Amino acid sequence: MSRSATPKLGAYAALAAAGLLAALVLGRPELAALAAPFALALVVGLSLAETPRVRGIFELGTERQVEGEPVEAWLELEAETPVPRLEVLVDLPDGLESEAPSLQVLGLAPGERAELELPLHCAHWGAYRVGRVFLRAHDRFGLLVFEETLDLRRPLKVYPRGEALRRVLRPFETQVFAGNQPPRSRGEGIEFADLRPFVPGDRVRRVNWRATARRGEPWVNETHPERNTDVVIFLDTFAEARDGGTSTLDLAVEAAGSLAGHYIREKDRVGLVAFGGVLNWLTVSTGVVQLYRVLDSLLDAEIFLSYAWKDIDILPVRTLPPHALVLALTPLLDERSVRALVDLRARGFDLAVVEISPVPFVEPGKGELDDLAYRLWLLRRDALRSSYLQLGVPVVEWRRDAPLQAALEEVRTFRRHARVTRA
Amino acid sequence: MAGTLLRGGGHEPLLLVVGGLALPVLLGGLVLRWSAALAVGVALLGAQQAVRLALGPDSPDSWTPLSAGALLLTAELVWWSVEPRVPAWSQPWQATRRVGTVLLACAGGSMVSAVVLVAAGVPISGGFGLELAGVAAATGALGVVAWVARSH
Repeated sequence: MSRSATPKLGAYAALAAAGLLAALVLGRPELAALAAPFALALVVGLSLAETPRVRGIFELGTERQVEGEPVEAWLELEAETPVPRLEVLVDLPDGLESEAPSLQVLGLAPGERAELELPLHCAHWGAYRVGRVFLRAHDRFGLLVFEETLDLRRPLKVYPRGEALRRVLRPFETQVFAGNQPPRSRGEGIEFADLRPFVPGDRVRRVNWRATARRGEPWVNETHPERNTDVVIFLDTFAEARDGGTSTLDLAVEAAGSLAGHYIREKDRVGLVAFGGVLNWLTVSTGVVQLYRVLDSLLDAEIFLSYAWKDIDILPVRTLPPHALVLALTPLLDERSVRALVDLRARGFDLAVVEISPVPFVEPGKGELDDLAYRLWLLRRDALRSSYLQLGVPVVEWRRDAPLQAALEEVRTFRRHARVTRA
Repeated sequence: MAGTLLRGGGHEPLLLVVGGLALPVLLGGLVLRWSAALAVGVALLGAQQAVRLALGPDSPDSWTPLSAGALLLTAELVWWSVEPRVPAWSQPWQATRRVGTVLLACAGGSMVSAVVLVAAGVPISGGFGLELAGVAAATGALGVVAWVARSH
């Protein structure tokens, strides 16, 4: 522990010295007697002062938790030397809160252990390392202060809570693996597709007896096979709009977590591309492990300021498999991501854009000129959305006070009409 | 301060002025949590004693140990008052333990003060040894001050 003197020590030393000097100058021993208690306090205090030795163990109840949920934490301290007054402060990163007092004080005898409970509240998603403990001990007379930082950090991952989705967007094309989605093609499955006349080779169990009786000849059921789909969540991390504790990136991460969880529960393969100052990607895969990979990647998502021009060519080839649905979550604030999405569409990818609206995060100016600039900005955003729609890209504005499900339904509606138009 | 005034010996107005200076300085130090002001305030209370002794009779003042203990008690209490407020310190065992330590220190200080007075009253003539002891004490006091300055 580092040791330093308190202002009290300096003051006592000065008072004692002044009293002794005054006794010499005035020739009065009473002044030396007045200074004597301060000198005594210094001598006794410094003689008895011993550098405290404290060891600590920090434990977390869990290493993974969902945003908004509590996490139990314990700090165990053991003193090797007597510590009359020990101030304990656990440094909590932004995003974690504790109902326990931030600063706790205790006294420890040699060999004594004390356990402090720290009920934590996961206020915001993120990957944290919790457990940096600041210790400050005082000697018995308050003349010296000893300080030490214990690095007992443990990892804690707080996943975004997101929204429970009932229905999400479906890609136009399915893949070859088994899943929950009926493709347009027909084959072995349980989802009814159509009726057709019996041909040699058809299995008897496929005969539709009611249709056969009505038509006088054997008819069989046709079914859709169950297939999975590939979905790539495209997260724009070039820029964000922030208002206090929340930002468009927070909303995008929560939405991405919800979407990834839903698609993987449906046995689809999910990939992630965080396209921004720093490129981060995950190739498509399925299963719980992939869900945790996606969520862990989302926790690392942050805005890195970069002026470098980036386009879609920098993405590894396997990150965007053929026939995959690319679901973009973007505030449409950066020209590079806007161009990249247009480029994806031009390359024939099945693209849908959920615009995380930055409008609620922006206050219109007070002056007339500011108001004009604000309206022009809104008009430019409308024009940008229109240009996407003209390219056949469904784009929907999602605001933070609206459910994600509503935005997805809007995209579904657009895509249904777009398919008719194509046909 | 009141005790000093009661034993003023006809110099009460001057003692009242010196002691009266100490009060606003101490109050300011308490309000601003400024340690230097507290030190000056306690020093002014000591100066009030010094003025009384300088202007008073030459005979030793038998109340000095009590005054010294009270001065230390004042200093302990004012520095306690400006420490950061921590809820845990309002726990009964913490407060009781600390009050006990402070009172013990003040009683010990009074006793040491009495010993100093008694030692000062011993009729011994000066000499090289005594002067050497005085130099050593002064050097020791300077050493403590230097150590404090270095550790800040």
